[in-house]
Amino acid sequence: MAVLDIKGVSKFFGSAVRAVDDFDLTVGNGELVCLLGPSGSGKSTLLRMIGGFETPSAGSITIDGDEVIHLPPERRPTGMVFQSHALWTHMNVFKNLAFGLKLRRLPADEIRRKVEDVLKLVGLTGYGTRQTHQLSGGQQQRVALARSLVLEPKILLLDEPFASLDQHLRERLREEVRDIQQRMGITTLFVTHGQDEALSMADRIVVMRDGRIEQVAAPDMLYREPATPFVAGFIGTMNLIEGEVKGGKFVRASFSHPLPIADGPAIFAVRPEALAIAPATGEGAARIHRVTDYGTHGLVDLELPDGTRHKAMVSEARDWKAGQPVTLAPRAFAAYRDNAVAYRSSTAS
Amino acid sequence: MSLSPTSDIVGASKKSGGLIGLLLVAVPVLLIGWMIIYPIIAAVITTLWLRNDAGAYVFSTQTYRFFFTDGYSLANLGLTLWTTVVCAIILLVVCLPIALYLRFATGRLAVYVQGLAIFPLFVPSIILSYAFIRVLGPNGMLDILLNAAHLPKIRSPYLTPWGPVIGLVWDHIPLTVLILMAGLGSVSDASIEAAKDVGAGPVTRLWYIILPRISNSILVAASFAVLGIFSAFTLPYVLGPAAPEMMGPFMQRTFRDLYDPPNAITQAVVSFGFCIVFGLFYVRSVVRNQRAR
Repeated sequence: MAVLDIKGVSKFFGSAVRAVDDFDLTVGNGELVCLLGPSGSGKSTLLRMIGGFETPSAGSITIDGDEVIHLPPERRPTGMVFQSHALWTHMNVFKNLAFGLKLRRLPADEIRRKVEDVLKLVGLTGYGTRQTHQLSGGQQQRVALARSLVLEPKILLLDEPFASLDQHLRERLREEVRDIQQRMGITTLFVTHGQDEALSMADRIVVMRDGRIEQVAAPDMLYREPATPFVAGFIGTMNLIEGEVKGGKFVRASFSHPLPIADGPAIFAVRPEALAIAPATGEGAARIHRVTDYGTHGLVDLELPDGTRHKAMVSEARDWKAGQPVTLAPRAFAAYRDNAVAYRSSTAS
Repeated sequence: MSLSPTSDIVGASKKSGGLIGLLLVAVPVLLIGWMIIYPIIAAVITTLWLRNDAGAYVFSTQTYRFFFTDGYSLANLGLTLWTTVVCAIILLVVCLPIALYLRFATGRLAVYVQGLAIFPLFVPSIILSYAFIRVLGPNGMLDILLNAAHLPKIRSPYLTPWGPVIGLVWDHIPLTVLILMAGLGSVSDASIEAAKDVGAGPVTRLWYIILPRISNSILVAASFAVLGIFSAFTLPYVLGPAAPEMMGPFMQRTFRDLYDPPNAITQAVVSFGFCIVFGLFYVRSVVRNQRAR
């Protein structure tokens, strides 16, 4: 168990590229924090700086109060699991796991015991003598995880560990990893660009964009109360309607809705499940472009008269038809101005 | 059930494709047979069936008995083996750091180093030999520079066993570096970083992670070096000592100056024997490594 403290960390590549820009974050004892963001948002670079594989241009990184920024990776109390597994193919599973322990000059009996324990932990008992190429993708990823865990690092760093696995295996492994992480109580930083992964695993999620933090929050808060239009659009599905507020009313094309903020440009944000639609007698606020039936629910593609598209969730897809005019009634919504929340309805989703 | 016309067309197309494939490989296979396999068989036969005083061909191991009992022939073979082993070791010691540097370094300097390492590939052996003489030979550039600095002359490696060693190493650097770099290309950055992550320092990473992963490439590089050096001619002929001499110049001199084809061919068969033993060892090692993986 350990506390990771990142203060003012920046990483510049040349003078033009700011991969990570003035990043501050504290990860508590036994916490699992996900770094979530699109490609190029700086999340992997940040993880590599914590692991010692990149040198920050500025800032400090401490683990349990000890500055680690000048330590090479081999002397940091961190363990990294790589996206590509990075197993040593000339060694069998046992040797892959024992390598780090041998470097620490532990007695052979203790090495064997630790390796067997960690193999049991990741569900690979009896796989020690297997060559790595004889394992499936999921088993290889478990070996990679075990290789880090066997050294009992203070901080576990996971760099998109499930990216190369299929959807089914990914879902199973993320549950297993979460279980192991909670059982061991190990402080963990997890990089992903999959919001499902982040929402299902993390205690807290850090949404990153262009090397900076957009928002840090618990998964449910992030979904319900996104702090910026970027987070709103990145987490789940969100209709972001750009328009003007005039006299306490948000207006965009034929859509309007009361919005008690000062006049000016604003972004109206409403999730598909919070946007009710009803058949219109005349032109309506929008026209249905397409209806998709997902069995449990339907998703209606709406088109405003200016051509912009938005989505609404309905309980029965067959009740709706393409070309049908509808009225829009947001049940819960938020409004953004200057990249911040300007208004949130009391029942905002 | 009869085949449809489409199946007939596909079958005919496959047959013609197979025929074209065979024709394409036939030319190099025939050339290998004509220019390599046939001369080998002919050489072995020529050295084992010798003409006796009566003019009849009889089986005899006389030329081989002569080679392996003649002190001068054995000294030449010994020098060739010594040169080959020393060159192979120096090549690996020199080229492995260069290849490692080129694999892991980034930036402009790495580009220049790569250019320099590959440069000898484009220099003919004879040019290299004369460049060597002009620089390291008696009264060469190095001697002139030492003299200008009022320092004593060096003991020139020209016409000593070290002359061919220096030349052959320089000549084989590009191929060795390229082969090692190809091997190092298969060692991913992530596997190196994973080793760092579990606590391996630079030497440990080299010994336990990198070298085992490029063992095949080292074997290929060593094989190419050994096979090339064992049969080298120009550099040992121009830069090497007159006696003992390496097998290449020895064969040429036996054939041309002494006009003794049976013994020259015997020397060639013995040289080939050493090369084929190493070649078989190389093939066996590669197959064993591949099976192990």
